[in-house]
Amino acid sequence: MVTAVAQSLQHLSLSQGSTTFAGVDNYLFLLGDPNFHSVLLVTLVFNLILNPAIVVVSTAFALLLSQRIPWVGLWRSLVFVPAAVPGVVVTLIWSTALQPDGLVNAILTAIGLPPQPFLTSANQALFSIGIMVAWGALGYWMIFIIAGLKDIPESLYEAAMLDGAGWWRRLFSITLPLLKRPMSFVLIACTVGSFLVFAPVQILTKGGPNGSTNLVMYDIYTNVYQIGDLGVGQAEVVVLMIILAVIVAIQFRLLREDKK
Amino acid sequence: MRQTRSARILLLAAAAVSSIAVFLPLWWVFVSSMRPGNSFVQYTSPLSWLAFVPFGGDLSNYAGLLNGTFALGLLNSFLVAGLTIVLGLAIAVPAAWALASFEFRGRGVVFAFVILVSMIPFDAIAIPLSSLFQDWGLTDSYPGLVLPALANGFAIFVLRQFFLGIPQELTDAAEVDGLGRVATLWRIVLPLSKPALIGAGMMLFLSQWQAYLWPLLIGTSPERQLAPIALANLSTLFSVDLGQILAGSFVLSVIPMVLLLFFQKQYTASLSTTGLKG
Repeated sequence: MVTAVAQSLQHLSLSQGSTTFAGVDNYLFLLGDPNFHSVLLVTLVFNLILNPAIVVVSTAFALLLSQRIPWVGLWRSLVFVPAAVPGVVVTLIWSTALQPDGLVNAILTAIGLPPQPFLTSANQALFSIGIMVAWGALGYWMIFIIAGLKDIPESLYEAAMLDGAGWWRRLFSITLPLLKRPMSFVLIACTVGSFLVFAPVQILTKGGPNGSTNLVMYDIYTNVYQIGDLGVGQAEVVVLMIILAVIVAIQFRLLREDKK
Repeated sequence: MRQTRSARILLLAAAAVSSIAVFLPLWWVFVSSMRPGNSFVQYTSPLSWLAFVPFGGDLSNYAGLLNGTFALGLLNSFLVAGLTIVLGLAIAVPAAWALASFEFRGRGVVFAFVILVSMIPFDAIAIPLSSLFQDWGLTDSYPGLVLPALANGFAIFVLRQFFLGIPQELTDAAEVDGLGRVATLWRIVLPLSKPALIGAGMMLFLSQWQAYLWPLLIGTSPERQLAPIALANLSTLFSVDLGQILAGSFVLSVIPMVLLLFFQKQYTASLSTTGLKG
Protein backbone atom coordinates (compact mmCIF):
# COMPACT_ATOMS: atom_id res chain seq x y z
CA MET A 1 0.00 0.00 0.00
CA VAL A 2 1.08 3.52 -0.72
CA THR A 3 0.97 4.60 2.90
CA ALA A 4 3.40 1.84 3.72
CA VAL A 5 5.86 3.45 1.34
CA ALA A 6 5.41 6.74 3.07
CA GLN A 7 5.81 5.14 6.46
CA SER A 8 8.94 3.37 5.39
CA LEU A 9 10.15 6.77 4.31
CA GLN A 10 9.80 8.05 7.79
CA HIS A 11 11.41 4.98 9.22
CA LEU A 12 14.31 5.19 6.84
CA SER A 13 14.99 8.61 8.18
CA LEU A 14 14.96 7.27 11.70
CA SER A 15 17.41 4.53 10.91
CA GLN A 16 19.48 7.12 9.09
CA GLY A 17 19.50 9.01 12.36
CA SER A 18 20.74 6.00 14.22
CA THR A 19 23.29 4.69 11.72
CA THR A 20 25.22 7.91 11.53
CA PHE A 21 26.08 8.19 15.17
CA ALA A 22 29.05 5.84 14.98
CA GLY A 23 29.51 4.96 18.59
CA VAL A 24 28.45 6.99 21.56
CA ASP A 25 31.01 9.77 21.13
CA ASN A 26 28.42 12.25 19.92
CA TYR A 27 26.17 11.49 22.86
CA LEU A 28 29.04 11.79 25.31
CA PHE A 29 29.97 15.10 23.76
CA LEU A 30 26.38 16.24 23.91
CA LEU A 31 25.88 15.19 27.52
CA GLY A 32 29.04 16.96 28.64
CA ASP A 33 28.41 20.08 26.60
CA PRO A 34 27.38 23.06 28.75
CA ASN A 35 25.74 24.59 25.68
CA PHE A 36 23.45 21.58 25.36
CA HIS A 37 22.64 21.76 29.07
CA SER A 38 21.53 25.34 28.66
CA VAL A 39 19.50 24.41 25.54
CA LEU A 40 17.72 21.67 27.49
CA LEU A 41 17.10 24.00 30.41
CA VAL A 42 15.71 26.77 28.20
CA THR A 43 13.47 24.28 26.33
CA LEU A 44 12.18 22.76 29.56
CA VAL A 45 11.45 26.09 31.23
CA PHE A 46 9.71 27.26 28.04
CA ASN A 47 7.52 24.16 27.95
CA LEU A 48 6.76 23.95 31.65
CA ILE A 49 5.40 27.48 31.72
CA LEU A 50 3.93 27.90 28.25
CA ASN A 51 1.87 24.71 27.87
CA PRO A 52 -0.08 24.85 31.14
CA ALA A 53 -0.68 28.54 30.44
CA ILE A 54 -2.12 27.74 27.00
CA VAL A 55 -4.36 25.04 28.46
CA VAL A 56 -5.65 27.35 31.19
CA VAL A 57 -6.30 30.28 28.88
CA SER A 58 -7.92 28.22 26.12
CA THR A 59 -10.13 26.48 28.70
CA ALA A 60 -11.11 29.87 30.08
CA PHE A 61 -12.03 31.04 26.58
CA ALA A 62 -13.94 27.83 25.93
CA LEU A 63 -15.91 28.21 29.16
CA LEU A 64 -16.70 31.83 28.43
CA LEU A 65 -17.62 31.31 24.79
CA SER A 66 -19.84 28.31 25.41
CA GLN A 67 -22.21 30.41 27.50
CA ARG A 68 -25.34 31.84 25.99
CA ILE A 69 -24.06 35.17 24.75
CA PRO A 70 -25.29 37.28 21.85
CA TRP A 71 -23.15 36.82 18.70
CA VAL A 72 -21.18 34.02 20.31
CA GLY A 73 -20.22 32.69 16.87
CA LEU A 74 -18.53 35.98 16.07
CA TRP A 75 -16.53 36.02 19.32
CA ARG A 76 -15.45 32.42 18.78
CA SER A 77 -14.34 33.20 15.25
CA LEU A 78 -12.31 36.19 16.42
CA VAL A 79 -10.44 33.97 18.89
CA PHE A 80 -10.03 31.15 16.39
CA VAL A 81 -8.79 33.23 13.48
CA PRO A 82 -5.16 33.58 14.70
CA ALA A 83 -4.91 29.78 14.60
CA ALA A 84 -5.26 30.00 10.82
CA VAL A 85 -2.26 32.32 10.56
CA PRO A 86 0.90 30.46 9.47
CA GLY A 87 3.66 30.29 12.09
CA VAL A 88 6.05 32.47 10.14
CA VAL A 89 3.42 35.15 9.81
CA VAL A 90 2.69 34.97 13.54
CA THR A 91 6.38 35.56 14.08
CA LEU A 92 6.58 38.51 11.72
CA ILE A 93 3.40 40.11 13.05
CA TRP A 94 4.55 39.93 16.65
CA SER A 95 8.09 41.02 15.94
CA THR A 96 6.56 44.17 14.41
CA ALA A 97 4.10 44.60 17.26
CA LEU A 98 6.82 44.10 19.89
CA GLN A 99 9.23 46.61 18.37
CA PRO A 100 10.30 49.51 20.60
CA ASP A 101 7.81 51.74 18.74
CA GLY A 102 5.33 48.95 17.98
CA LEU A 103 1.74 48.29 18.93
CA VAL A 104 2.31 46.66 22.32
CA ASN A 105 4.52 49.41 23.65
CA ALA A 106 2.09 51.99 22.30
CA ILE A 107 -0.71 50.39 24.29
CA LEU A 108 1.50 50.09 27.38
CA THR A 109 2.37 53.79 27.15
CA ALA A 110 -1.26 54.74 26.55
CA ILE A 111 -2.30 53.08 29.81
CA GLY A 112 0.63 54.61 31.67
CA LEU A 113 3.12 51.74 31.83
CA PRO A 114 6.79 52.01 30.83
CA PRO A 115 7.72 50.56 27.41
CA GLN A 116 9.51 47.20 27.47
CA PRO A 117 12.47 45.92 25.41
CA PHE A 118 10.82 42.50 24.71
CA LEU A 119 12.85 40.59 22.10
CA THR A 120 16.12 42.44 22.67
CA SER A 121 16.30 41.65 26.38
CA ALA A 122 17.64 38.35 27.68
CA ASN A 123 14.96 38.42 30.38
CA GLN A 124 11.99 39.00 28.11
CA ALA A 125 12.85 37.40 24.75
CA LEU A 126 11.72 33.89 25.66
CA PHE A 127 8.56 35.29 27.20
CA SER A 128 7.89 37.22 23.99
CA ILE A 129 8.26 34.05 21.93
CA GLY A 130 5.88 32.34 24.33
CA ILE A 131 3.30 35.07 23.68
CA MET A 132 3.58 34.50 19.93
CA VAL A 133 3.18 30.76 20.21
CA ALA A 134 0.28 31.03 22.64
CA TRP A 135 -1.52 33.56 20.45
CA GLY A 136 -1.24 31.29 17.43
CA ALA A 137 -2.43 28.21 19.35
CA LEU A 138 -5.21 29.44 21.65
CA GLY A 139 -8.15 29.36 19.27
CA TYR A 140 -7.24 25.94 17.92
CA TRP A 141 -7.20 24.31 21.34
CA MET A 142 -10.27 26.22 22.41
CA ILE A 143 -12.23 24.33 19.73
CA PHE A 144 -11.19 21.01 21.30
CA ILE A 145 -12.23 22.11 24.78
CA ILE A 146 -15.56 23.41 23.50
CA ALA A 147 -16.16 20.04 21.87
CA GLY A 148 -15.38 18.44 25.26
CA LEU A 149 -17.82 20.79 26.99
CA LYS A 150 -20.58 19.78 24.59
CA ASP A 151 -20.12 16.15 25.65
CA ILE A 152 -21.03 16.92 29.25
CA PRO A 153 -24.69 16.01 29.72
CA GLU A 154 -26.90 18.97 30.54
CA SER A 155 -28.82 16.85 33.06
CA LEU A 156 -25.82 16.88 35.43
CA TYR A 157 -26.02 20.64 35.66
CA GLU A 158 -29.77 20.57 36.14
CA ALA A 159 -29.43 18.09 38.99
CA ALA A 160 -26.69 20.18 40.58
CA MET A 161 -28.78 23.32 40.31
CA LEU A 162 -31.68 21.55 41.99
CA ASP A 163 -29.31 20.70 44.80
CA GLY A 164 -28.46 24.36 45.04
CA ALA A 165 -24.91 24.24 43.71
CA GLY A 166 -23.63 27.66 42.65
CA TRP A 167 -21.62 28.49 39.52
CA TRP A 168 -18.20 27.89 41.09
CA ARG A 169 -19.33 24.68 42.69
CA ARG A 170 -20.63 23.39 39.34
CA LEU A 171 -17.36 24.43 37.67
CA PHE A 172 -15.16 22.55 40.11
CA SER A 173 -17.41 19.54 40.75
CA ILE A 174 -18.76 18.87 37.26
CA THR A 175 -17.14 20.81 34.44
CA LEU A 176 -13.45 20.56 35.27
CA PRO A 177 -13.44 16.88 36.32
CA LEU A 178 -15.29 15.94 33.13
CA LEU A 179 -12.96 18.09 31.05
CA LYS A 180 -9.92 16.22 32.33
CA ARG A 181 -9.54 14.12 29.21
CA PRO A 182 -9.81 16.85 26.58
CA MET A 183 -7.61 19.06 28.71
CA SER A 184 -4.87 16.48 29.07
CA PHE A 185 -5.10 15.76 25.35
CA VAL A 186 -4.61 19.45 24.63
CA LEU A 187 -1.75 19.67 27.11
CA ILE A 188 0.13 16.82 25.47
CA ALA A 189 -0.53 17.87 21.87
CA CYS A 190 0.44 21.38 22.80
CA THR A 191 3.67 20.18 24.42
CA VAL A 192 4.67 18.34 21.26
CA GLY A 193 4.10 21.53 19.31
CA SER A 194 6.04 23.69 21.73
CA PHE A 195 9.06 21.38 21.68
CA LEU A 196 9.25 22.03 17.95
CA VAL A 197 9.09 25.82 18.02
CA PHE A 198 11.59 26.96 15.45
CA ALA A 199 10.54 29.84 13.19
CA PRO A 200 10.50 32.65 15.80
CA VAL A 201 13.96 31.70 17.03
CA GLN A 202 15.45 31.36 13.57
CA ILE A 203 13.90 34.55 12.18
CA LEU A 204 14.04 36.86 15.20
CA THR A 205 16.52 36.01 17.91
CA LYS A 206 18.93 33.41 16.52
CA GLY A 207 18.91 31.87 19.99
CA GLY A 208 20.00 35.09 21.68
CA PRO A 209 20.28 37.37 23.53
CA ASN A 210 22.85 35.35 25.46
CA GLY A 211 21.41 31.95 24.54
CA SER A 212 18.20 32.80 26.37
CA THR A 213 15.98 31.64 23.49
CA ASN A 214 18.13 28.80 22.16
CA LEU A 215 15.37 26.18 21.95
CA VAL A 216 16.30 22.62 20.99
CA MET A 217 15.02 22.71 17.39
CA TYR A 218 17.08 25.78 16.59
CA ASP A 219 20.13 24.25 18.25
CA ILE A 220 19.77 21.16 16.05
CA TYR A 221 19.45 23.40 13.01
CA THR A 222 22.62 25.34 13.91
CA ASN A 223 24.55 22.17 14.62
CA VAL A 224 23.61 20.61 11.28
CA TYR A 225 23.39 23.58 8.93
CA GLN A 226 25.54 26.30 10.49
CA ILE A 227 28.33 24.41 12.25
CA GLY A 228 28.03 21.42 9.93
CA ASP A 229 28.44 18.92 12.74
CA LEU A 230 25.99 16.35 11.42
CA GLY A 231 26.80 13.70 14.02
CA VAL A 232 26.09 15.86 17.04
CA GLY A 233 23.00 17.25 15.36
CA GLN A 234 21.69 13.76 14.66
CA ALA A 235 22.38 12.70 18.24
CA GLU A 236 20.41 15.71 19.37
CA VAL A 237 17.56 14.71 17.04
CA VAL A 238 17.55 11.26 18.63
CA VAL A 239 17.39 12.78 22.11
CA LEU A 240 14.49 14.97 20.99
CA MET A 241 12.80 11.96 19.38
CA ILE A 242 13.05 10.00 22.63
CA ILE A 243 11.46 12.84 24.58
CA LEU A 244 8.71 13.20 21.98
CA ALA A 245 8.18 9.43 21.77
CA VAL A 246 7.43 9.37 25.48
CA ILE A 247 4.95 12.22 25.05
CA VAL A 248 3.35 10.60 21.99
CA ALA A 249 3.08 7.27 23.80
CA ILE A 250 1.14 8.96 26.58
CA GLN A 251 -1.09 10.63 23.99
CA PHE A 252 -1.69 7.32 22.23
CA ARG A 253 -2.70 5.65 25.48
CA LEU A 254 -5.10 8.47 26.23
CA LEU A 255 -6.78 8.02 22.86
CA ARG A 256 -6.96 4.25 23.29
CA GLU A 257 -8.67 4.66 26.65
CA ASP A 258 -11.02 7.05 24.94
CA LYS A 259 -12.24 4.37 22.58
CA LYS A 260 -13.19 1.94 25.30
CA MET B 1 -29.74 27.92 32.14
CA ARG B 2 -31.37 31.12 33.25
CA GLN B 3 -29.27 34.22 33.50
CA THR B 4 -29.98 37.46 35.24
CA ARG B 5 -29.84 40.58 33.12
CA SER B 6 -26.66 41.94 34.69
CA ALA B 7 -24.91 38.59 34.35
CA ARG B 8 -25.84 38.56 30.68
CA ILE B 9 -24.35 41.99 30.08
CA LEU B 10 -21.24 41.10 32.07
CA LEU B 11 -20.72 37.91 30.04
CA LEU B 12 -21.22 39.75 26.78
CA ALA B 13 -18.73 42.43 27.79
CA ALA B 14 -16.15 39.83 28.87
CA ALA B 15 -16.57 37.88 25.65
CA ALA B 16 -16.37 40.97 23.46
CA VAL B 17 -13.36 42.52 25.18
CA SER B 18 -11.30 39.35 25.40
CA SER B 19 -11.98 38.13 21.87
CA ILE B 20 -11.37 41.57 20.36
CA ALA B 21 -8.10 41.72 22.31
CA VAL B 22 -7.04 38.41 20.73
CA PHE B 23 -8.05 39.62 17.28
CA LEU B 24 -6.60 43.12 17.60
CA PRO B 25 -3.03 42.41 16.43
CA LEU B 26 -4.36 40.93 13.22
CA TRP B 27 -6.63 43.89 12.60
CA TRP B 28 -3.73 46.22 13.26
CA VAL B 29 -1.67 44.31 10.68
CA PHE B 30 -4.43 44.75 8.14
CA VAL B 31 -4.70 48.49 8.78
CA SER B 32 -0.92 49.01 8.91
CA SER B 33 -0.47 47.16 5.63
CA MET B 34 -2.36 50.05 3.99
CA ARG B 35 0.24 52.55 5.19
CA PRO B 36 3.05 53.02 2.66
CA GLY B 37 6.51 51.86 3.74
CA ASN B 38 7.29 52.16 7.42
CA SER B 39 4.89 55.06 7.96
CA PHE B 40 2.49 52.94 10.06
CA VAL B 41 4.83 53.49 13.00
CA GLN B 42 3.76 57.12 13.35
CA TYR B 43 0.29 55.96 14.45
CA THR B 44 1.63 53.85 17.31
CA SER B 45 4.01 56.43 18.79
CA PRO B 46 1.94 57.87 20.30
CA LEU B 47 -1.03 55.57 19.83
CA SER B 48 -3.75 57.10 17.69
CA TRP B 49 -7.11 55.82 16.55
CA LEU B 50 -5.73 55.89 13.01
CA ALA B 51 -3.66 52.81 13.93
CA PHE B 52 -6.93 50.86 13.78
CA VAL B 53 -8.80 52.62 10.99
CA PRO B 54 -7.29 52.61 7.51
CA PHE B 55 -8.26 56.21 6.65
CA GLY B 56 -5.90 57.74 4.14
CA GLY B 57 -4.23 54.43 3.40
CA ASP B 58 -3.39 52.99 -0.01
CA LEU B 59 -2.43 49.70 -1.60
CA SER B 60 1.17 50.62 -2.48
CA ASN B 61 2.58 47.84 -0.27
CA TYR B 62 0.55 45.24 -2.11
CA ALA B 63 1.65 46.67 -5.44
CA GLY B 64 5.26 46.52 -4.22
CA LEU B 65 4.87 42.87 -3.27
CA LEU B 66 3.72 42.00 -6.78
CA ASN B 67 7.08 42.95 -8.24
CA GLY B 68 9.19 41.13 -5.68
CA THR B 69 10.17 37.58 -4.81
CA PHE B 70 7.01 37.25 -2.76
CA ALA B 71 4.71 37.00 -5.80
CA LEU B 72 6.69 34.06 -7.18
CA GLY B 73 6.71 32.52 -3.70
CA LEU B 74 2.94 32.81 -3.52
CA LEU B 75 2.59 31.10 -6.89
CA ASN B 76 4.86 28.30 -5.69
CA SER B 77 2.88 27.99 -2.47
CA PHE B 78 -0.36 27.61 -4.39
CA LEU B 79 1.18 25.04 -6.70
CA VAL B 80 2.67 23.00 -3.88
CA ALA B 81 -0.46 23.20 -1.72
CA GLY B 82 -2.68 22.26 -4.66
CA LEU B 83 -0.53 19.27 -5.54
CA THR B 84 -0.53 18.23 -1.90
CA ILE B 85 -4.31 18.27 -1.71
CA VAL B 86 -4.85 16.33 -4.94
CA LEU B 87 -2.12 13.74 -4.50
CA GLY B 88 -2.63 13.53 -0.74
CA LEU B 89 -6.31 12.68 -1.18
CA ALA B 90 -5.41 10.24 -3.94
CA ILE B 91 -3.35 8.37 -1.34
CA ALA B 92 -5.52 8.86 1.72
CA VAL B 93 -8.84 7.84 0.14
CA PRO B 94 -7.83 4.32 -1.00
CA ALA B 95 -5.87 3.77 2.20
CA ALA B 96 -8.80 4.80 4.36
CA TRP B 97 -11.22 2.74 2.25
CA ALA B 98 -9.04 -0.31 2.61
CA LEU B 99 -8.79 0.19 6.36
CA ALA B 100 -12.52 0.69 6.65
CA SER B 101 -13.98 -1.95 4.37
CA PHE B 102 -11.50 -4.78 3.77
CA GLU B 103 -11.11 -7.50 6.33
CA PHE B 104 -7.50 -8.53 6.28
CA ARG B 105 -5.13 -9.92 8.86
CA GLY B 106 -3.23 -7.30 10.78
CA ARG B 107 -5.65 -4.52 9.88
CA GLY B 108 -5.72 -3.29 13.45
CA VAL B 109 -1.93 -3.29 13.58
CA VAL B 110 -1.64 -1.37 10.31
CA PHE B 111 -4.19 1.16 11.47
CA ALA B 112 -2.53 1.63 14.85
CA PHE B 113 0.75 2.02 13.03
CA VAL B 114 -0.65 4.73 10.74
CA ILE B 115 -1.94 6.63 13.75
CA LEU B 116 1.26 6.18 15.74
CA VAL B 117 3.46 7.35 12.86
CA SER B 118 1.22 10.31 12.17
CA MET B 119 1.58 11.36 15.77
CA ILE B 120 5.32 11.75 15.33
CA PRO B 121 5.43 15.39 14.38
CA PHE B 122 7.00 15.89 11.00
CA ASP B 123 9.22 18.79 12.01
CA ALA B 124 11.04 16.58 14.50
CA ILE B 125 12.42 14.38 11.73
CA ALA B 126 12.65 17.11 9.10
CA ILE B 127 16.35 17.76 9.59
CA PRO B 128 17.58 14.15 9.28
CA LEU B 129 15.07 13.58 6.48
CA SER B 130 16.40 16.57 4.58
CA SER B 131 19.89 15.07 4.44
CA LEU B 132 18.31 11.88 3.09
CA PHE B 133 16.53 13.92 0.42
CA GLN B 134 19.88 15.48 -0.40
CA ASP B 135 21.32 12.03 -1.11
CA TRP B 136 18.36 11.30 -3.35
CA GLY B 137 18.84 14.53 -5.27
CA LEU B 138 15.40 15.78 -4.31
CA THR B 139 16.48 19.06 -2.76
CA ASP B 140 15.38 22.19 -4.56
CA SER B 141 12.62 20.43 -6.46
CA TYR B 142 8.84 20.41 -6.35
CA PRO B 143 8.66 16.66 -5.61
CA GLY B 144 10.94 17.29 -2.63
CA LEU B 145 8.57 19.94 -1.33
CA VAL B 146 5.38 17.95 -1.88
CA LEU B 147 6.39 14.37 -1.06
CA PRO B 148 6.63 14.43 2.75
CA ALA B 149 3.26 16.16 3.15
CA LEU B 150 1.42 13.46 1.21
CA ALA B 151 1.41 10.82 3.91
CA ASN B 152 -1.01 12.49 6.28
CA GLY B 153 -2.16 9.99 8.89
CA PHE B 154 -4.80 12.34 10.22
CA ALA B 155 -6.39 12.66 6.79
CA ILE B 156 -6.52 8.85 6.54
CA PHE B 157 -7.98 8.67 10.03
CA VAL B 158 -10.71 11.24 9.34
CA LEU B 159 -11.72 9.53 6.10
CA ARG B 160 -11.72 6.07 7.64
CA GLN B 161 -13.95 7.17 10.51
CA PHE B 162 -16.34 8.70 8.01
CA PHE B 163 -16.34 5.62 5.75
CA LEU B 164 -17.11 3.45 8.78
CA GLY B 165 -20.22 5.52 9.35
CA ILE B 166 -21.63 4.80 5.89
CA PRO B 167 -24.37 2.17 6.17
CA GLN B 168 -23.19 -1.30 5.21
CA GLU B 169 -26.48 -1.90 3.32
CA LEU B 170 -25.56 0.71 0.73
CA THR B 171 -22.22 -0.85 -0.16
CA ASP B 172 -23.70 -4.37 0.00
CA ALA B 173 -26.47 -3.35 -2.37
CA ALA B 174 -23.90 -1.88 -4.73
CA GLU B 175 -22.00 -5.16 -4.75
CA VAL B 176 -25.17 -7.17 -5.37
CA ASP B 177 -25.76 -4.92 -8.37
CA GLY B 178 -22.36 -5.94 -9.64
CA LEU B 179 -20.23 -2.96 -8.76
CA GLY B 180 -16.64 -3.80 -7.88
CA ARG B 181 -14.93 -2.50 -4.77
CA VAL B 182 -13.31 0.37 -6.61
CA ALA B 183 -16.50 1.35 -8.41
CA THR B 184 -18.39 1.22 -5.11
CA LEU B 185 -15.86 3.59 -3.60
CA TRP B 186 -15.98 5.92 -6.61
CA ARG B 187 -19.70 5.93 -7.37
CA ILE B 188 -21.35 5.34 -3.99
CA VAL B 189 -19.02 6.21 -1.13
CA LEU B 190 -17.18 9.28 -2.37
CA PRO B 191 -20.28 11.28 -3.36
CA LEU B 192 -21.53 10.73 0.19
CA SER B 193 -18.22 11.71 1.75
CA LYS B 194 -17.94 15.35 0.74
CA PRO B 195 -17.66 16.67 4.32
CA ALA B 196 -14.85 14.25 5.17
CA LEU B 197 -13.10 14.94 1.87
CA ILE B 198 -13.24 18.67 2.54
CA GLY B 199 -12.02 18.17 6.11
CA ALA B 200 -9.13 15.97 5.02
CA GLY B 201 -8.34 18.33 2.15
CA MET B 202 -8.20 21.25 4.58
CA MET B 203 -5.81 19.30 6.80
CA LEU B 204 -3.54 18.60 3.87
CA PHE B 205 -3.74 22.20 2.72
CA LEU B 206 -3.02 23.68 6.14
CA SER B 207 -0.13 21.30 6.82
CA GLN B 208 1.51 22.57 3.64
CA TRP B 209 0.48 26.22 3.92
CA GLN B 210 1.81 26.55 7.45
CA ALA B 211 5.06 24.70 6.85
CA TYR B 212 8.26 26.62 7.31
CA LEU B 213 11.14 24.38 8.35
CA TRP B 214 10.85 21.87 5.51
CA PRO B 215 10.51 24.43 2.67
CA LEU B 216 13.42 26.30 4.25
CA LEU B 217 15.59 23.19 4.04
CA ILE B 218 14.38 21.94 0.64
CA GLY B 219 13.21 24.87 -1.49
CA THR B 220 16.58 26.55 -1.56
CA SER B 221 16.83 28.43 -4.85
CA PRO B 222 14.79 31.63 -5.32
CA GLU B 223 12.74 30.00 -8.11
CA ARG B 224 11.40 27.38 -5.72
CA GLN B 225 10.98 29.42 -2.56
CA LEU B 226 7.58 29.23 -0.94
CA ALA B 227 5.85 32.42 0.15
CA PRO B 228 6.62 32.14 3.90
CA ILE B 229 10.33 31.79 3.16
CA ALA B 230 10.27 34.71 0.75
CA LEU B 231 8.48 36.80 3.36
CA ALA B 232 10.89 35.84 6.14
CA ASN B 233 13.79 36.73 3.84
CA LEU B 234 12.30 40.18 3.29
CA SER B 235 12.59 40.73 7.02
CA THR B 236 16.33 40.06 7.03
CA LEU B 237 17.19 42.46 4.20
CA PHE B 238 19.47 45.38 4.96
CA SER B 239 16.66 47.92 4.68
CA VAL B 240 13.46 46.35 5.89
CA ASP B 241 10.18 47.53 4.40
CA LEU B 242 7.86 46.56 7.23
CA GLY B 243 4.79 47.82 5.37
CA GLN B 244 5.40 45.23 2.67
CA ILE B 245 6.03 42.52 5.24
CA LEU B 246 2.73 43.30 6.94
CA ALA B 247 0.96 43.27 3.57
CA GLY B 248 2.49 39.87 2.79
CA SER B 249 1.54 38.63 6.26
CA PHE B 250 -2.01 39.65 5.61
CA VAL B 251 -2.12 37.89 2.25
CA LEU B 252 -0.72 34.67 3.74
CA SER B 253 -3.21 34.76 6.62
CA VAL B 254 -6.32 35.75 4.75
CA ILE B 255 -6.23 32.78 2.38
CA PRO B 256 -6.56 30.04 5.04
CA MET B 257 -8.98 32.28 6.93
CA VAL B 258 -11.37 32.54 4.01
CA LEU B 259 -11.14 28.80 3.41
CA LEU B 260 -11.82 28.10 7.08
CA LEU B 261 -14.76 30.47 7.01
CA PHE B 262 -16.29 28.52 4.12
CA PHE B 263 -15.45 25.05 5.40
CA GLN B 264 -15.52 25.69 9.14
CA LYS B 265 -18.13 23.01 9.78
CA GLN B 266 -16.36 20.22 7.94
CA TYR B 267 -12.96 21.21 9.33
CA THR B 268 -13.98 21.39 12.97
CA ALA B 269 -15.92 18.16 12.58
CA SER B 270 -12.76 16.51 11.29
CA LEU B 271 -10.74 18.01 14.11
CA SER B 272 -13.00 16.57 16.73
CA THR B 273 -12.82 13.18 15.00
CA THR B 274 -9.04 13.11 15.25
CA GLY B 275 -8.91 14.52 18.72
CA LEU B 276 -11.53 13.23 21.00
CA LYS B 277 -14.00 10.82 19.56
CA GLY B 278 -11.79 7.90 18.57
